[in-house]
Amino acid sequence: MKYGVKFCGGCNPRYERGRAFKSIMGDLSEKVDFEIAREEVDYDGLLVISGCSNCCPEVKVYKVKRKPIKMWDEKHIDKVKEEILKEVDVT
Amino acid sequence: MALMNGAQYIESLRKLDIKVYMFGEKIENFVDHPMIRPSINCVAMTYDLAHEAEYEDLMTVNSSITGKKINRFAHLHQSTDDLRKKVKMQRLLGQKTASCFQRCVGMDAFNAVFSTTFEIDQKYGTKYHANFIKYLTFIQENDFIVDGAMTDPKGDRALSPSQQPDPDMFLRIVEKRADGIVVRGAKAHQTGSINSHEHLIMPTIAMTEADKAYAVSFAIPSDVDGLYMIYGRQSCDTRKMEEGADIDLGNKQFGGQEALVVFDDVFIPNDRIFMCEEWDFAGMLVERFAGYHRQSYGGCKVGVGDVLIGAAAVAADYNGADKASHVKDKLIEMTHLNETLYCCGIACSAEGAPTAAGNYQIDLLLANVCKQNVTRFPYEITRLAEDIAGGLMVTMPSEKDFNSNLKVGSMTIGETCNKYFKGSGKASVENRMRILRFIENMCLGSSAVGYRTESMHGAGSPQAQRIMIARQGNIAHKKELAKKIAGIKE
Repeated sequence: MKYGVKFCGGCNPRYERGRAFKSIMGDLSEKVDFEIAREEVDYDGLLVISGCSNCCPEVKVYKVKRKPIKMWDEKHIDKVKEEILKEVDVT
Repeated sequence: MALMNGAQYIESLRKLDIKVYMFGEKIENFVDHPMIRPSINCVAMTYDLAHEAEYEDLMTVNSSITGKKINRFAHLHQSTDDLRKKVKMQRLLGQKTASCFQRCVGMDAFNAVFSTTFEIDQKYGTKYHANFIKYLTFIQENDFIVDGAMTDPKGDRALSPSQQPDPDMFLRIVEKRADGIVVRGAKAHQTGSINSHEHLIMPTIAMTEADKAYAVSFAIPSDVDGLYMIYGRQSCDTRKMEEGADIDLGNKQFGGQEALVVFDDVFIPNDRIFMCEEWDFAGMLVERFAGYHRQSYGGCKVGVGDVLIGAAAVAADYNGADKASHVKDKLIEMTHLNETLYCCGIACSAEGAPTAAGNYQIDLLLANVCKQNVTRFPYEITRLAEDIAGGLMVTMPSEKDFNSNLKVGSMTIGETCNKYFKGSGKASVENRMRILRFIENMCLGSSAVGYRTESMHGAGSPQAQRIMIARQGNIAHKKELAKKIAGIKE
């Protein structure tokens, strides 16, 4: 399963976005291939890692099969992992 | 050309023949000069972050002209979302440098000149807008930084440009030729001018027909014949010239830069002219540039404020005062003030609207309120930072004393300093020195130029904003509201 990852720009993040991504990627690396999202690539899913609840990144430009999964709080890490794993199971 | 990174940007500066003077002498290699290099590192950060996945959503955007990916600093705002992202990008850069990163003036000039030239052409049938689009495409394609230069020396403030005893107090056209114009004069306290590939010149005030020779806007390479710069001094600047200087600098890596830019009969070809004697549009261009730039301060100064708040909190930890309720409350107050500035930057962006040319302009009233607050709040934030840090930030001995092996009595000078300047034990003496010198740098050292006095006078002094607030505030409407509810019938 191939996942694109899109970070917000990080102007005033309420948590360490890079560390959150590493945590998610670390636990799911055997089942999901993550890469920084590129417009020309087709993805099974898109993970949007935002620093605050505004979740400002523009994601319409990406080609994704499913609705993007968004996170804006460190507390979302486990939920994000669960959601992605559910998709893996369905696939 | 692809987006440059920081190293490529620095190398690109070496290829320019920019004429720089400092301490009465010509500086042959300004790129590696210890007093100038920190400001170059700041600009380089605007290039490096564009290549990082965690920041590229703010740092890059697709050009409205070519559709290609460009650095946001060269972008024409296409929506209120673009205006908000501009402010967010500036906050990010302030956080990464704790200094003025100098690239905003060009971005603000691009957007102001773009919309103003469109309206000049509509009235006079000139070709300035096409000239400007061609120019901006060149800038975007080459990923250049441009100094948006507005402020003239101004001479006697009570006199208009054409009334000055010395006509060069405002930059002016001295000759018109078939292929272009020749200009003379200067632009004062130009942020990042020496670090810029190009200069984009604008008039500094609204004008009358008598001033039409001063109503001029154009762009030129920074190393063009007849153009030179005299570097502006900063508080504590020669510390950077001290051998092995590190801790005493506070911020060794980054800093701001200003200079006097002199135009000694510089030729400007026709295709780089964006205004030439259309005096009735000088005020529009000034107002639009100032509006964008007053918005900018709701981002960049907030980012520097973030770092200063963090530094004050670290100093409190090292002093052993972090548990004191008044210290916690002061950190809350600093955060409140800082986020209030950010609110203003975001608000004037969210309430933006399209110009006749199609790019987006901020809400002028809210942008002026934003900047008016910026003339005050950083001063209060620095006051609180100095309060928390303690007097040691300005009284402690030099780094050389802390490392000295000179024996006096039973101990060396270094041992004495390290004995008496120990703090809470949570940090080494060296780290305590580092954070206190860093606070000194931002509050009253070389970076205070950007965080304090630039907050006061940059993008216009406080009274300039109050004039705009008076114009936009609509007191008549507020009086009507009061009269209606009070039951007053006149």
